Amino acid sequence: MKNPFLDFQSVPCRKKEIPLERIVRARKEIMDRLSEGYLRLVEEEVKDLVWLVEHSHVVRTYSAAVSAIQDLQYDQDDIEEFCAELDNANAFPYMISGPAGIYLSALINNAAEEHILLRLSEYERTFHFLGYRLPEGKTLVLQGNLGDFIGAGLCGGRLMVEGTAGNWCGAGMTGGEILVTGYTGQKTGEWMRGGEIHVDGPIGGFGRARFGGKIYQRGKLVVPHESE
Amino acid sequence: MIEEKRNNDLRKVVWELYAYIQDNLYLNRPDMQIKGREFNSALLMSLLTGLCEGKELIIGEPGLGKTTSAEYVCALLYRFPLGTIWGSEVSGHPEQTEEKIIGRPDLGKLNKGEEVVVWSHFALLPVKIVDEINRLPETKQSMILDGVDRGNWEYLNAAIINEEYCLFATANYQDRGTNTIVAPLIDRFDVMVESKHPGANLAYFIGGHGSNGVRLRSEELEAEFHSVLSENIPYPVRMKRLDELCDRFGEWLEAQEGIRTLSVADRREIRSSKRSLPFDLDFNAFLRFVVSELSFCHHFGQKRSNEACDAGCHFTGYLCNAVRNCVSNRLPISARNFSQALAWLLGDEEVDLEHLKAVLPFTLAHRTQWKEEVVAQREKEQRSDPLEIYMAKQAVKEMHRRYMEQAGEVKNALAVACRIVEGESMRPVEGDHPIYWEIRRDLGEEVTEV
Amino acid sequence: MSRDLDEILKQVWPRVRKKHLFPELPNPEMGGGESSVGLDIRAKKIFISREFVSEMSPALDTEKVIEGLLDHAVSHYLSCPWDFATHLKLYAKAKDVLKNKDMALKATDYFMDVVADTHCVSRKDTPIPKIYGSAKKGGALDEAIHALYQRIWGLDLGVKGYEEISRKLSRIPYLDRNTWQESIRRFSKAVKFLLEMEEDLGGTDGQSPMGSHSLQQYSSQELEEGLKDLALEVGTPYEFKKIVQDFEDEILQATQAGGEAMGLGPGQGLDADTIYYMKLAENYLLPIRKLPMEKSGSLYPHHHTPWEVGKPYQEIDPWTSFGKIMPGITQTWQRFEGEVFGKGEGTPDCIILIDSSGSMTDPKQHLSHAVLGAGCASDAYLRNDAQVAVYNFSDARSGGQKILSYSRSRKMIYRTLCHYFGGGTRLLVEKIDGLQTDKVPDIFLITDMQITNLENLIQYFNDCKNRVTAVHIGDNKHVKNFRSAMALRKNVEIYAVEKKEDIPRIVLGKVKDYLYSPGS
Repeated sequence: MKNPFLDFQSVPCRKKEIPLERIVRARKEIMDRLSEGYLRLVEEEVKDLVWLVEHSHVVRTYSAAVSAIQDLQYDQDDIEEFCAELDNANAFPYMISGPAGIYLSALINNAAEEHILLRLSEYERTFHFLGYRLPEGKTLVLQGNLGDFIGAGLCGGRLMVEGTAGNWCGAGMTGGEILVTGYTGQKTGEWMRGGEIHVDGPIGGFGRARFGGKIYQRGKLVVPHESE
Repeated sequence: MIEEKRNNDLRKVVWELYAYIQDNLYLNRPDMQIKGREFNSALLMSLLTGLCEGKELIIGEPGLGKTTSAEYVCALLYRFPLGTIWGSEVSGHPEQTEEKIIGRPDLGKLNKGEEVVVWSHFALLPVKIVDEINRLPETKQSMILDGVDRGNWEYLNAAIINEEYCLFATANYQDRGTNTIVAPLIDRFDVMVESKHPGANLAYFIGGHGSNGVRLRSEELEAEFHSVLSENIPYPVRMKRLDELCDRFGEWLEAQEGIRTLSVADRREIRSSKRSLPFDLDFNAFLRFVVSELSFCHHFGQKRSNEACDAGCHFTGYLCNAVRNCVSNRLPISARNFSQALAWLLGDEEVDLEHLKAVLPFTLAHRTQWKEEVVAQREKEQRSDPLEIYMAKQAVKEMHRRYMEQAGEVKNALAVACRIVEGESMRPVEGDHPIYWEIRRDLGEEVTEV
Repeated sequence: MSRDLDEILKQVWPRVRKKHLFPELPNPEMGGGESSVGLDIRAKKIFISREFVSEMSPALDTEKVIEGLLDHAVSHYLSCPWDFATHLKLYAKAKDVLKNKDMALKATDYFMDVVADTHCVSRKDTPIPKIYGSAKKGGALDEAIHALYQRIWGLDLGVKGYEEISRKLSRIPYLDRNTWQESIRRFSKAVKFLLEMEEDLGGTDGQSPMGSHSLQQYSSQELEEGLKDLALEVGTPYEFKKIVQDFEDEILQATQAGGEAMGLGPGQGLDADTIYYMKLAENYLLPIRKLPMEKSGSLYPHHHTPWEVGKPYQEIDPWTSFGKIMPGITQTWQRFEGEVFGKGEGTPDCIILIDSSGSMTDPKQHLSHAVLGAGCASDAYLRNDAQVAVYNFSDARSGGQKILSYSRSRKMIYRTLCHYFGGGTRLLVEKIDGLQTDKVPDIFLITDMQITNLENLIQYFNDCKNRVTAVHIGDNKHVKNFRSAMALRKNVEIYAVEKKEDIPRIVLGKVKDYLYSPGS
């Protein structure tokens, strides 16, 4: 049979590649793997699209997230871009906020960088559980208005929120520092055992079950109260 | 392969003819630019038609030089006096018959019981002009199909095959007296052009001294031509004698007007030289790109005029969604032929994308049936061409822009396909454009998923 | 030197054209301009700054400078922004992030430059990097972009620093057109702080050496096409207005010559709402009516049939019969009536009755399919050389009505259609009567049928001879009354739409019936 493409025999098959293409390809591979890890986590931990905020459940989800990202190579930029992917309805039609935040926290806690900045102010979706179990030596700066359980279980790291935090901010933290430039919601510092929360704006409510730690509002210590 | 010098000389003759016609006979404005040179599209395409043994459909308003431009080009390129050409023209009207167009029995011989055909001048001459072809009823149009296509004319039991011929047909715009040109006939035309109004200033000079073609007439030679055409001699003998008369007319023209014209041998050399011009890779790839867009249908295998596209088809952005019919195989033939002729005329060493871009709208305009909604989008836009040619130009522009964006990928896909056919283990390149799908089909893949 | 530059340009341009596969661009020219900016593009024509070329010549061969500038300009045409609609959409995304027109314009300019130059560098052999390497750097943003180029092209352009920003920017897939909208968001986010810094230091006036990208680079036709595409893509007239209003002056200036069809031109503001519907309706155009075919009334010889004994002699063709009269040889003509193009009948005028009461969608805020449908009908009549009158009603008795007498001004018609009263629903039939003419116009009524004085309208339609098409949204008891009253009227057709999106389709279908079916 006649080869109808013979005229193009001399055309080289490999085309010129510039570094951009390599960078974008590498970035896409990482994003795909991060997305794969997240979807696997959601599949394992979320039943019928419902995920309950219950302590053992949260702990289990975090462990699963850590194993999901064990062999991944990524950096701060990848984490920030993954946040954008999570916000993108086309990429993730159903973002389950709890596991998403926990997955991000796992990524943050295991990243090589000690100082991480995430700009989340223009996103439509709200992230919860950011800063979960932030370890000592790590600083996480979050820009934007965030959801619930921000800094929950903080383990000695430094979390700065340039914006607002929702309910249960710093819940169950054992050490470290949370600084919030805006306001926090209800049950701030619930189950707190150590560390400090500094809020520059109003505090919606304090958690009743606290076992240690301090809460400051506009530089003034408000918890524990003098009477306590 | 003729010598370079001889080639250049022939080219010079053709340029001189172009300039002579433009300055003296067919006064008109340039309306296209190729490689920095300006041309009038009707005149250029007519010249190329004459050089390529092509078929041209000239449209336009009455009285704008459709027929006369064709007559001048034929007279000068083929060395026939105007009077002879006038005598061979077929005019389109409903009462045309086969006997008037092709030939008739010799009545004297018929009464003696002999079947001898008296061929019409139209069938005999290498230059054929059909005036107002769309006034011919459709049955008569079908009659001249085979002759138009192959130069093959039959009547009773006799036949002649024109060794060399070109055809010019003119058509006015639609009015009460016109029919449509049947699809098989219109597809046989290589190009369609419009003979435009020259503008008030040039129009003032039309009809002035010499501009009516009187310089291209020689009554003495016309009588001799008539005599040869009327004689009952075998076709090859007649053509030889006509050639001799043509050469005499050529000499007469050179002596009287100082213009050189082309002999049969010259035209043969030009065609040979033209055919030897290679096509560059972008020409090749772009033509395939165009044909794929105008013939591809993902849903039905190919475009068909009796099958409409689905709404929401993935390929909405391509021309396969804008046209109703499938482009014929004559399109690439016309495109290659005329592009080569143009490249030869411009003195270029290879035929490239710019030649193809210049020629393609004229080869496409009459062969494309646009969907109504597509026509509706364009018909009120500002333009200087009739709607069919304008839409063809826009379509070529659109496809060219797409091609420029992905030329590398297209050529790469074709190169990879070449290697696959030769046995290398490679995956065909995937892409959105119909060309990639056609390549995969050619490689034997059953492609269904978008 | 000036003459040399023109000569050099004449030599370089054909090479550049061939390199880029012969783009449809007019021949470029050398022009004036600043020494820091090499290019200006107006209506697709490229102007190269002599001063810039002279300034660059000590560092780089003049031919290379001109070639690089031309490569850049052609790349913009070929890759980004591709067309006016894309340009506007990119700008809109940038503005969403930056919230400031000047900053958004600058970010868009830089983004387009990065895409175009990277496109060219990745596919062709071009001296663009050399120009960037040799040109004077502008502010911090300019240097950051140079740093980005260094990273993504793998070339040294002589810029140090800007590691973090160039790293962030290098991850954006500039060459993937499908992700441009997301890419420019990321780009704008990343460069926001640099733009803010420049703004604080005295404005965003500094330009890239390749010049900025004003709307003047587009031809009038491209602007019209672009607005049409944009209208189709954005969800609401409000979004359209948000994007287009920032370019009001430029659009008006650019469409000075040919903008009458859009109702634009000197002395007229840009009525973005009206233009939105005008452009959107252009996506639903019906073709101009063709001349109908009809029998010519005369017979012509069509084909031959064998003559038989007993048949008349008059139609015998002596030529094909070879002069013989005998069965089997003699042929006779069969004559048929020819079919030729007929005369086009005139198109009736059209009256559009559109409800703009509170229950109807406000066309300035959300896409009003009622207005769109009415616009489509108007366009169809206008294209067939008819006139259109509009009666826009809400609570007519309290002044909530707007009447446009017969007009062929597309803009005036759309302006009247787009007017929104938002009040009650009562029309005055005498106003409709006032628009009647001897030619008996067609009437299109688009409403949700919650008309207070519906009985008056029913009475009126019962008496009138016009072809009436009533399109109503939803169902209610008034509709039932209307339907039963009109049931016997052959000239009145009523369509109910469940989804408003169906209105244009129904209206166009009816127009097609009226104007395009045989015997219309």
